[in-house]
Amino acid sequence: MSQIPSDPKQTDAWIKTRNPELYINPLPVRIWHWLNALGFVMLILTGTQIRYVNLFNLMSFETAIKTHNWVAFAVIANYFVWLGFYLFSDKITVYHPELNMRKFFDKAFKQIMYYSYGIFRGEKSPHNVVPHDKFNPMQSITYQIIMLMVVPMQFLTGIMMWDMKRFEGLINMVGGIHVVGTVHVMIYIFFISFTMIHAYMGALGKTPATHFREMFTGYEEEH
Amino acid sequence: MIFSGGLYAAAETETSAEPVAKPAAIPAVKEEAPKDVMSELDELLKKNNKCLRCHSRDKFKTLEDGEELSLQVHKEDYISSAHGEVACVSCHEAIGNRKHPSKKTNISIASQRDYSLELNQSCRNCHDKKFAQYEGSIHASLVTQGSKKAPLCTDCHSAHAIETMANFDPVNDLPCKQCHENIYNAYTESVHGEARINGNVIRDSHIQAPICSDCHNAHEITALAIGDTIRSTCIGCHENVTLLHNQWLPNAGTHLEIVSCAVCHAPFAKRTFDFHLYDNVTGAPVTRPVDDELVQQKIQAIEESDGRVDPVEIWKTTGESGNQDQATDISLRSRMEVRSGVSAHQIAGKSFAVRTCDSCHQQESRLNQNVTVSIPGSDGRIQRVETDRESLSSVEAVNSISDFYALGGNPSKFLDILVLLSLAAGFAVPIGHFTMGKMIKELKERGEQ
Repeated sequence: MSQIPSDPKQTDAWIKTRNPELYINPLPVRIWHWLNALGFVMLILTGTQIRYVNLFNLMSFETAIKTHNWVAFAVIANYFVWLGFYLFSDKITVYHPELNMRKFFDKAFKQIMYYSYGIFRGEKSPHNVVPHDKFNPMQSITYQIIMLMVVPMQFLTGIMMWDMKRFEGLINMVGGIHVVGTVHVMIYIFFISFTMIHAYMGALGKTPATHFREMFTGYEEEH
Repeated sequence: MIFSGGLYAAAETETSAEPVAKPAAIPAVKEEAPKDVMSELDELLKKNNKCLRCHSRDKFKTLEDGEELSLQVHKEDYISSAHGEVACVSCHEAIGNRKHPSKKTNISIASQRDYSLELNQSCRNCHDKKFAQYEGSIHASLVTQGSKKAPLCTDCHSAHAIETMANFDPVNDLPCKQCHENIYNAYTESVHGEARINGNVIRDSHIQAPICSDCHNAHEITALAIGDTIRSTCIGCHENVTLLHNQWLPNAGTHLEIVSCAVCHAPFAKRTFDFHLYDNVTGAPVTRPVDDELVQQKIQAIEESDGRVDPVEIWKTTGESGNQDQATDISLRSRMEVRSGVSAHQIAGKSFAVRTCDSCHQQESRLNQNVTVSIPGSDGRIQRVETDRESLSSVEAVNSISDFYALGGNPSKFLDILVLLSLAAGFAVPIGHFTMGKMIKELKERGEQ
């Protein structure tokens, strides 16, 4: 198995000799991920400016609203890059390498134990990353909930609030603008901590930069 | 009636075209009219002259209330008026139908107002459509309720020097000013009033600047403070307003629906979040009978206490007093409104309009401090009661006030706390995890030693 050299000078040379078996982040996923990351940060910042216009003055309310709307539509379009890639490629197995719930929960427990204790003892992650099974059970379940439930919910509530007149019927059907607004804000609240913790966990690789580099090159390094 | 409809119509048309030159117009009618009609006109003028022989003199009649009623009719004014060709007895029917009152057959009149009220009905004889419109107006409603000040036909048109619509203009002292002076002054200083005074010119272009009746109607006078009426009135002239707002204003459709035009276009106006009850079945604000005791008692109780009211309380009260036999679907709706009628008329030019979103979309905005509940009466008049912002953020209010939502303007301490907790977790989890890792590593290293 290929392993990242300990000498930083040899890292470039190592990256150039990538092992195709460890190519876990294909180009569409990487493009989607980084555009999404940039979009999320901008949406959180503009969203915070919109909600707390009296607390700080990063930009005008009008600019914040317009930027929020444009970035949101870009993020929605980008979502379909992700969805399309997984729907129309065999890579969808990364979310469900085998449909065995018992095995899944067993692996999930081991992963929680690793994050809460084993990682500090320098233990190896119980999950072995390979292209068709790249997510550990915790990542798999979290990302599926986020990408299939939370994010679409945020898109829908956001679109409703973008043009309330056009979606008046739909807004009333789901319980009124208060419900829509509250759901949108609750998901925004969730993404504040999620984005920060996600970035921190990205730094828990062999070196703090390892996982970030993997997400740029597409190649898994820790083997 | 002495005149046939045809002759009257011909006279009215002539008058409308050249009201000031009216006396000169009579011969012109004479030249074209058939002989028998002309003889009728001559007969009429003779009869009117008979009346005016006495009534052009400075005579008075003492009424029962001690007031003196002038019996004088200025001949020139009357002849040059829109009614110059109308027989005196057409309106003063009682006198036409019997002998002229004398000292022996004296007519008893309680007051000038009573006499005007009695004669007001005679306008219907010729102006039935206009009179029907007037009867549906807020003015007529006030008259019915016994108001001594609410205008009758003659209060606006005068009794004998009747002017045509063409002569009604704010720069010529529009009759509305007599009662609504503050609003009139606000109007004359507005972009509309200034344009009118400057000969209907604005930004070097000729426009037809509106006068009072263009928005409020001439006879079917309505109060425009609630609902969509005022917006549709503005859009009636400013046709491309939706398109223009769509070009820059997010959620333009919603803004145009729930924010009164004057809120932004009268930049110095005091504003309020105003609540009213909305009937979702009829699609119009709910009006209460002006003498609705339950609502009046409620308002009185509020006024006697702290002067503030929970909109939900009003909502409940009105629900209780509603007609139980009628299926209703009533909700409490809110709009951004200007606080007074004067403010509503202080419309400034487009370049002065409020365009800063945070004028409304922030919790601390001064605009957000004013919250009122409006209870429109069935006559169109509005009773507006102050409330406070606290009642809007109550659990009950959230359930009932479905329309009250302004980005950044909604106080929700619970959500604010959650935002802070989420931010804290975003820092605490990495810091805690990192610290715990360090500690375990140290413990492990000590153990190995």
